[in-house]
Amino acid sequence: MSRGMPRASGYFRTDYAQDLALTQTRLERASLLAFAVMLAAFPFLATAFYLDLACQVFLAAIGALSLMLLTGYAGQISLGHAGLLAAGAFTAGILFREFNAPFWVTLPAAAAVGALLGIVFGLPSLRLRGLYLAVSTLALHFVVVYLGGEYESKRGYSTGIMIDAPTIGGYAITNGRVWYFVLLVAAAATLLICINLLRSRTGRAWRAIRAHETVAEALGINIAAYKLLAFVISSAMAAVAGALFAYYRHFVSVEAFSLFLSIQYVAMIIVGGMGSLLGALLGAVFVTLFPYLIEAALQQLPNAQSYAGVLFAVNYAAFGVVMILFLLFEPLGLVGIWHRVQHYFLLWPFKHRPVAGAGK
Amino acid sequence: MAELTIESLRLRFGGLVVLDGISLAIEAGELLALIGPNGAGKTSVLNCISGIYRGEGAIRFRGQGIGGRPPHDIAQLGIARTFQHGELFPQMTVLENLLIGRHSHIRTNPLSEMLFLPTVRREELRQREAAEKIIDFVELERYRHTRVGGLPFGTQKLVGFARALALEPALLLLDEPSAGLNRDEREDLARFILRIKHQLGIAMIWIEHDMQMVADLADRICVLDYGRILAEGHPADVLKHPEVIRAYLGSANENDDREVKP
Repeated sequence: MSRGMPRASGYFRTDYAQDLALTQTRLERASLLAFAVMLAAFPFLATAFYLDLACQVFLAAIGALSLMLLTGYAGQISLGHAGLLAAGAFTAGILFREFNAPFWVTLPAAAAVGALLGIVFGLPSLRLRGLYLAVSTLALHFVVVYLGGEYESKRGYSTGIMIDAPTIGGYAITNGRVWYFVLLVAAAATLLICINLLRSRTGRAWRAIRAHETVAEALGINIAAYKLLAFVISSAMAAVAGALFAYYRHFVSVEAFSLFLSIQYVAMIIVGGMGSLLGALLGAVFVTLFPYLIEAALQQLPNAQSYAGVLFAVNYAAFGVVMILFLLFEPLGLVGIWHRVQHYFLLWPFKHRPVAGAGK
Repeated sequence: MAELTIESLRLRFGGLVVLDGISLAIEAGELLALIGPNGAGKTSVLNCISGIYRGEGAIRFRGQGIGGRPPHDIAQLGIARTFQHGELFPQMTVLENLLIGRHSHIRTNPLSEMLFLPTVRREELRQREAAEKIIDFVELERYRHTRVGGLPFGTQKLVGFARALALEPALLLLDEPSAGLNRDEREDLARFILRIKHQLGIAMIWIEHDMQMVADLADRICVLDYGRILAEGHPADVLKHPEVIRAYLGSANENDDREVKP
């Protein structure tokens, strides 16, 4: 993968394997390690509220990464992401309720259901493009949510399906701190899978399809197969995220998987920055924390109590405004801002931009 | 046996007849120039061969019928092409563009790629070496990690050329590779075309408007006009053909004694 950040002079690679390494310089390794230490220390310093926020961010990150593969790299628009999360959550919920299946069965099952649904979601992409494809995925979202709702009402779980905490070797994961690490590992594993796919044949084929379908085809890429593969992999990941969400909340209900959730995921990859995994992560953090920030901001106002009723509406409106602002002023998203900051400090205190194309 | 044979190829868009019974054959290692006025159907011939358009009539590559096959199948059989406007992947580096050209030669599956298993790592390194050989061949070493979108136009066209070579084709379709190039770049291009012919022995169908270049390099010329073959044969003969002069080359008046020297 090409990286945006120019490197210091005097840094040379002496064989091709060094180009494949994920971290290139000592500074990169050191900062990565420092970040890992911070992540590991966080649950021991944070309150239960912040712990929950972090867990939500990790879950959102898995979903956003999977959507980024599909939309940001393979170029296939989907408005059905909430439907896939719902499919995963319901797979876990139904298997637990009906067969008392343990989580090491339900998670792979959720992935399998997601992969199958991915083929269904992906089939329209062989004929449709852009807005039309988005609408077809939207339709499928409603089908999945409808089926989930039918199950709930037929089986008498009209308020939702309760799920027990997953157990590993007799130990039930109920503790927030343990959940934090479980979800952190899941998100990190998803990130690594995405990075690996993108630096090999499949990822290159996806990017080629997004850039230019006809040319990709003329270069020997079977675009139908790779589009479907993008849907399958992305959907399987999303379904796993949905199943994890169900376990984390101990609860599955169709209400959680509204169209607004799909839009939130699309917002994550747009606000974060299309075509960047870092963008998906930043977007997940931003969109997850945004309502809490608005709430905190409102509480600073005088007469905070009197606004409590409109908090919901303010949240939606502010979310919409931020989306529009990003589309207008920062189409590259948060990752674009991040790269500008990096470039600024690279030669700080001097102001000259690095020569285009240098040092990549 | 001819590398590629086309028999009475017809292509119609609604009522518009684009190709009207084209028959062509190209031998292994041959450099065939396809010339003709704008709208004669030159690019359509290439599009039919590479499967982007579906015409009527038989197209056989090494004796195997390829008419009606999807483009990716045809590319995997060993027919690569460049595009008139480059059509590169501007956000990707030169190296990444070439590795996409290597697609059909890479043997890894998505599951092992997810884990970047040692087999994937070895394969990536092997492909990198293959790509580097091509970078070396077209002398693009200094740009290998540069985003293609930021390169000068002439260099971009060269990358498109290199990307087609990365497929290790037996037949290369070149769609106006010299369009928009300056004199130096054209000379480089001529050098690369000759090196491909002599060192790699790849057969080429080459659409070109630069008659001097065609006369200098081509083994054989095929002139297309309104979807029909007007003339075909050795450059010296074809470029003197009265029909060709009338339809394409043109002569200002009888006194005009300039002519393209073969």
